[in-house]
Amino acid sequence: MRYYETIYIVDPNLENTILEKTMTEIGEELQKTKAKIINHRDWGKKRLAYQVSNQKYGTFILLQFEIEDLNKMKEFDSSLKLNNLVLRHMTVSLDRKPKEYVDKSKTDSSVIENDSVSSSEQNKDGDDKATTDGVENNLDSNTVKIDEEK
Amino acid sequence: MAFQNKRKFCYFKENGITDIDYKDVKLLRRFVNDQGKIMPRRITGTSAKMHRKLVRAIKRSRSIALMPYVENNLE
Repeated sequence: MRYYETIYIVDPNLENTILEKTMTEIGEELQKTKAKIINHRDWGKKRLAYQVSNQKYGTFILLQFEIEDLNKMKEFDSSLKLNNLVLRHMTVSLDRKPKEYVDKSKTDSSVIENDSVSSSEQNKDGDDKATTDGVENNLDSNTVKIDEEK
Repeated sequence: MAFQNKRKFCYFKENGITDIDYKDVKLLRRFVNDQGKIMPRRITGTSAKMHRKLVRAIKRSRSIALMPYVENNLE
């Protein structure tokens, strides 16, 4: 069992949604080889030291994982080669187990908390709407009754 | 320059660094001249063991476009 690290450069002009989509695609491709992904994160947009396929900047993405069967790695490697959005990639073996990247998860948890708060607020709003709807219904029924009286 | 009093020392041994990461461009830049060439051990004073690791790290970061193969700063 060994630890590896793949770094790949993606086209810098991609929108966030497409970037996330390609990242998930590549992660799925790696999981086909029964690898355990430890880290998969955006390392940020950086200036390249030299132009790679006419690009001066590139988005670097780090992927750290643990794998047993190295023969299957070839398929993953060729899939990166065939991916048009990936400008360049490199896989390196690590001496020791990489630390899990923590900062992002912290921000994620805060986001989730915010989401839960907002969703509860939405629920309240929904309840309010429901009550108002009920009042309207009552009004309607009243009008109906009035109509009947007439 | 020939009679330099300053004693050379291995930067990595002095700072207790055992592994050199190819992503640490700021560190690697210290061991490269302005043309992007790797400086010889004779000048930097790096120990033989760490110099081998340093060279590997610089070459890796070159291949992923973090550091230049050649930089033309002549003029």
